[in-house]
Amino acid sequence: MPLKALDIYKLLPKKNCKECGDPTCLTFAMKLASGKGDVTKCPYLDEDAKVVLGASTRPPIQLVRVGVGELRFGVGDEFVLFRHEKTFYHPTALMISVSDRWTADEIRVQTRRVASDHLVRVGADLRLNGIAIRNDSGSPEAFGKAVAAVEETATHLPEVLMATDPAAQEAGLASCGHFRPLIHAATMETYPAMCGLAKKFGCPLVISAPDLATLSDLSKRCTAEGVARLMLDVSPSSLADYIPAATLIRRLAICRAQPEFGYPVFLDATRYGNQDTAIALGILKYASVIATETLPPATLRAALTLRQNIYTDPQKPIQMNPGLYPIGSPGKDAPVLMTVNFSLTFFTLQGYLESARVPCYMLIVDTEGLSVLTAVASGKLNETLVKESLKRFDVGSSVTHRKLIIPGYASPLSGRIEEETGWKVLVGPRDAAEIGEYLAQEWKS
Amino acid sequence: MTDGGSDWSGKIGEVVLGATAADGGTRKVSYRVGGDDDLPFLGGCTSGHRPLVAYEICDDPGLWPQIVRDYCGDLVNDPASWSKAAEREYGADLIRLSLTSTRRRGFSDFAALGKTVHDVLHATGLPLIIEGSNDPQIDSEVFQQCGEAGQGERLLLGTAEAGRYRSVAAAALAYGHGVIAQSPIDINLAKQLNILLKEIGVPLDRVVIDPYTGALGYGFEYSYSVMERIRYSALKGDQDLQVPMISAASDSLNIKEVREAEPAIRDEMAVRWEFYAALPAIVAGAAIVVVRHPGTVKALRDAVEKMWPGEVTANAAQGA
Amino acid sequence: MPVVTFLPGYRKATVSEGGTILEAAQKAGLQMNVVCGGQGKCGKCIVQVKSGRFSFDSEKFGRVFSPEEIASGFCLACQATVGGDVHVIVPESSLIQEQKILIEGLGIETEFNPSIWKYYLELTPPTLEDPSPDLTRLLWAIQKKGGPVAEKIYAPLEVLQSAPRVLRDSGWRVTATVALVPGGYRLIDLEKGDTSKNLYGAAVDLGTTTIVVYLRSLVDGKVVGVASNYNRQISCGEDILSRVNYAKKHGLEPLQELAAESINQAITTAANNASIDRDDIYEVVVAGNTIMTHILMGIDPAYMIEEPYVPVVRRYLTTSGARVGLEVDRDAGVFIFPAVSDFIGGDIVADILSCGMAEQEEITLMVDIGTNFEVVLGNKEWMFSCAGAAGPALEGGEVLFGMRANPGAIERVSIDPATLTPSYETINHEKPRGITGSGLIDILAELLRACVIDRTGRINTSIENRRIRTGQYFPEYVVAWKGETAIGKDIVITENDIKNLIMSKASVLGACITLMNQAGITREQIDGIAFSGAFGNYINKENAIMIGLIPEVPIERIRNIGNGAVAGANIALINRKKRKVLDEIARNIAYVELNAESSFMDEYTRAAFLPHTDLGLFPKVEKFLDECRLRSREHP
Ligand code: SF4
Ligand code: FES
Repeated sequence: MPLKALDIYKLLPKKNCKECGDPTCLTFAMKLASGKGDVTKCPYLDEDAKVVLGASTRPPIQLVRVGVGELRFGVGDEFVLFRHEKTFYHPTALMISVSDRWTADEIRVQTRRVASDHLVRVGADLRLNGIAIRNDSGSPEAFGKAVAAVEETATHLPEVLMATDPAAQEAGLASCGHFRPLIHAATMETYPAMCGLAKKFGCPLVISAPDLATLSDLSKRCTAEGVARLMLDVSPSSLADYIPAATLIRRLAICRAQPEFGYPVFLDATRYGNQDTAIALGILKYASVIATETLPPATLRAALTLRQNIYTDPQKPIQMNPGLYPIGSPGKDAPVLMTVNFSLTFFTLQGYLESARVPCYMLIVDTEGLSVLTAVASGKLNETLVKESLKRFDVGSSVTHRKLIIPGYASPLSGRIEEETGWKVLVGPRDAAEIGEYLAQEWKS
Repeated sequence: MTDGGSDWSGKIGEVVLGATAADGGTRKVSYRVGGDDDLPFLGGCTSGHRPLVAYEICDDPGLWPQIVRDYCGDLVNDPASWSKAAEREYGADLIRLSLTSTRRRGFSDFAALGKTVHDVLHATGLPLIIEGSNDPQIDSEVFQQCGEAGQGERLLLGTAEAGRYRSVAAAALAYGHGVIAQSPIDINLAKQLNILLKEIGVPLDRVVIDPYTGALGYGFEYSYSVMERIRYSALKGDQDLQVPMISAASDSLNIKEVREAEPAIRDEMAVRWEFYAALPAIVAGAAIVVVRHPGTVKALRDAVEKMWPGEVTANAAQGA
Repeated sequence: MPVVTFLPGYRKATVSEGGTILEAAQKAGLQMNVVCGGQGKCGKCIVQVKSGRFSFDSEKFGRVFSPEEIASGFCLACQATVGGDVHVIVPESSLIQEQKILIEGLGIETEFNPSIWKYYLELTPPTLEDPSPDLTRLLWAIQKKGGPVAEKIYAPLEVLQSAPRVLRDSGWRVTATVALVPGGYRLIDLEKGDTSKNLYGAAVDLGTTTIVVYLRSLVDGKVVGVASNYNRQISCGEDILSRVNYAKKHGLEPLQELAAESINQAITTAANNASIDRDDIYEVVVAGNTIMTHILMGIDPAYMIEEPYVPVVRRYLTTSGARVGLEVDRDAGVFIFPAVSDFIGGDIVADILSCGMAEQEEITLMVDIGTNFEVVLGNKEWMFSCAGAAGPALEGGEVLFGMRANPGAIERVSIDPATLTPSYETINHEKPRGITGSGLIDILAELLRACVIDRTGRINTSIENRRIRTGQYFPEYVVAWKGETAIGKDIVITENDIKNLIMSKASVLGACITLMNQAGITREQIDGIAFSGAFGNYINKENAIMIGLIPEVPIERIRNIGNGAVAGANIALINRKKRKVLDEIARNIAYVELNAESSFMDEYTRAAFLPHTDLGLFPKVEKFLDECRLRSREHP
């Protein structure tokens, strides 16, 4: 249970001295309760209070960084089991595999593709995070060459070196060790050597064990060896086991019961004969780094979009910029459809309008990202807003008619909008899917 | 909130879909959905039932995504054979029939609806979900027709919403069907609708929540969390939310990524777009997912098999 | 220039051609109902032009009228412009009427600790033997009378300049007025003869709509007069936002002057009734919302209505009567209550002072409901506050037949669950003209009990009863048939009205619960709910809980503190020690910004159900509803 403002307040010195930057201890407590404050700003906390409050602000899962430079990514540093409780902060990294059995050319082509593949959605740049180099050959030498081939193609791409043999790791690290690749993976048998390498190059280390008890033991041993940045590979034998294992690790980590689980989770998605399923489960359920085979274009788009969805702040609706958006090339007699700037509403309507192939305008009004239903309910969507938006975006000069189609759920406002704007209001369907049909039947400019 | 392993006090109620001969219907199989007493996939196969994949067909393809029309060809003009294909070829667990004809302005051919339902029930032995009108003016007539045509078959009738639930509920109560209760991506509104249904006499073991699912990349993030919250609250003991969920990211095939995909990969894009929303919906707790591209059915069935390794037919306990 | 004559009464005003009838009415001193501030939206400023040229766009603004009405000259005063001399009938319903304004005995208990005193002094005239200066003589006499020691009293130049004449003309019989000021005492007045009884103070509630003034003797603390009137700023817009916008356009002065005039008017009435000279008022204590007090002090409130909503000042302010235009003793001290934030003003601090929250162990939830609402939860150790917009529905706005608490307003309703026939009470027992907030709450609760509406407030239209029907836009329930009313129309409540009411009440309840969550307390831990303001006085407490306006607590724990703002001002007027603690109270109240509090939207949605989504929070209502449902199934 997160502490309530008043519980925290009871622990504060109640001096109201303002040194924390807040006017009173109570307002400071409110800030702490909402996770926005920094306990250390109060110089007068007693030890008890420090223990209680301090503990609840340190991240329960270590932040682990992989790579260097611009494309470096950090994972871990999460606080919750469900994104609706707070948010998930550090998106899952997707690492595309190359094998040391491939020719150097094949490796280069793949590396280049990973480096350049990216897509832009809703203003965000979505991309793959790096390369997983696999020691399929079993030969340290081949592995070293493969790593070198990746390195010379794209030095800046973060890498995972996937080799169980410490000798192979060493060969790989020889060419890329200073770029902080992720080492995969130390086992109960190999951990002393792997820890040595991780320390030598300052790299994060994945540890892998067949069950959680062994993993816990291994984690403790590696920390004892002096490796601070670990990742955990639960290596479930089937996807059926992945969710319970990953969930348990996350749970134990965030309740701080067992600090040895306080590290990000690694998932090798290639092992289960159903890569799409493995990727989806990994993104949803706490995998911080996923290694996969090449992703076909459709999978790539869908997987990156899912990751984007899961790692947005659920409390902040994504908003579109208000404005007048043309669909197709609308003429002066084209219909004008008004709706809100909640991204979901916008894109859904846009989708149906585009497939309806009726050139028209979408008038997006600023409801601060609220959907039609909630915007009507809360009064954010009202006749004044519509009037102002018509004026602000000079809709009157884009079309010659004076008719405005409003969403079906906004029908209670129709009279008031008409009165306020002087435009004739037509109530559209409630379901955007019917907009094509609606326009076909009802629209006469 | 991040407490508790499996110290849940609540359990999702079970809802039965489809009636076999033993129960006075004609379905070859009937399903139980719900029954979970843990978060999805944490309780192993003892918690709840295998998630089901429904394939959605319609009675007026004019309002259906082009890509499905292209893929399925002539089938789309005949709901009965389409449903047969869904069962035999696509491998669906159940069928959802969307009565898109009722969405046409001035629709009035109510008798045709009854006939369509009847034909589909005749063509397939799978349990049937029906998505009716969404216009309060004609709801009563539409649901009455469907309800009657499917009497005794334990259909799942949709969709009840806070502003129009009486007609669906009346038809479900009169003819022994279940009800889909849809609310706009909000746990509290979902709960309120269940309460409204309960208060007019619909028992919650006849209700399935549809929390509304936005397409991947177009609001899916909200739907996902709402489903998680609903499941969580239900397990925490909120009785009004202890009902199974159905998820249909119905807009998936109309979004830009799919429409604008190169022809060569368009079907693949459609399948992935549906898949990457439906599977997460299952992980968030949906007991039934609904898709429109035949290819997605198989992809999902494969995935579910990987995640639910128990006997696949275990929950078709009453199969004939 | 055209002359506009208002009937009945033949008041006249001239306006320039093209001026509105509303402008003319305001010039003529008529207080018209301008709920929307003259935007043509509220339809409350109806007049009928009997003769003369005028123009009115009935296409655009004529929705409230029937074609016959338009034909016979009905129009909205704010939109109709005059083109020559006109005669206009102003229906009574378009005038702001005497409202029930809350003035009660104020059972306040506080020590009498004034900060101003008068001393009647009989001085020995100076002689050659005793040539000490006039001032020394005076101050010594004050000290001897039990006043402050001579060295601590500062005598300003103005008083010294008049002193020699006053002393000698009066034969050394004078009354000295001494006030406590920061850093000591000040001799503020010297009068001939014995005027020591003529020492008064005014406690003022400067509300957005009404002003209430209490005059008290500062010799014994007793009330000598009370008066109230409308805030004359209403002519610049009904709600506070439109007034700030008005100030943006026309400058702050007109509003400042209107505020001062409104107070003056009330003070004058009270003083006249008590036969008191206004110049004998030496202290004025004002509690008002932050925007009102800013305006009165001539401080620009513009930045309070835009993000990030900052007031210029929060702490208490003092000034002199003359500087803000109050017609009292020119040196009278004016004390303005401190505020917590832009939305939690001095009026709320006064509420808290008068309900005692800040001095008790017990946890109080104080709710002040108007178009905006304020909620404060706490006790002497901690207090949380928040504010929000409830919308006007609870006060009868945005409801088709909603009205304020004027004569003819339905204020109490019960409905027979079997026949659905209502019985109602109106203010002054006149024929009904509309429904007030308390009436609306009753109707909502009764319709819920009778199972006419479901818990989202939707009317079950399948019930066969002639009072339930589908109106032009929405289903509705008929409260009074045409024939019973004073307005010749059926008075109904529509589903849309109900929706607005539920949204309003959800904001209030959602805010209460949000504060309870902050504090981590349950409804059982609330020792008392205090309603402040007019609203609480008239509502049926049981029904307020039935619809979930406030959390369910035992009825006996709910009380009305009435006009807490004026009560607090009274306390501060007669007990200076309380003034000291005000700043501290204000500072100790933590303000929760609901818009920034992500859980509020959740709580709001949960509360937008009758009485709440979670009936576990309303166990009594739950039992009651179960019974109602059973009953309605037995007798469908
Ligand atoms: S610094 Fe500490 S004691 Fe001082 S006001 Fe802030 S919380 Fe209170
Ligand atoms: S219509 Fe509101 S003041 Fe005239």
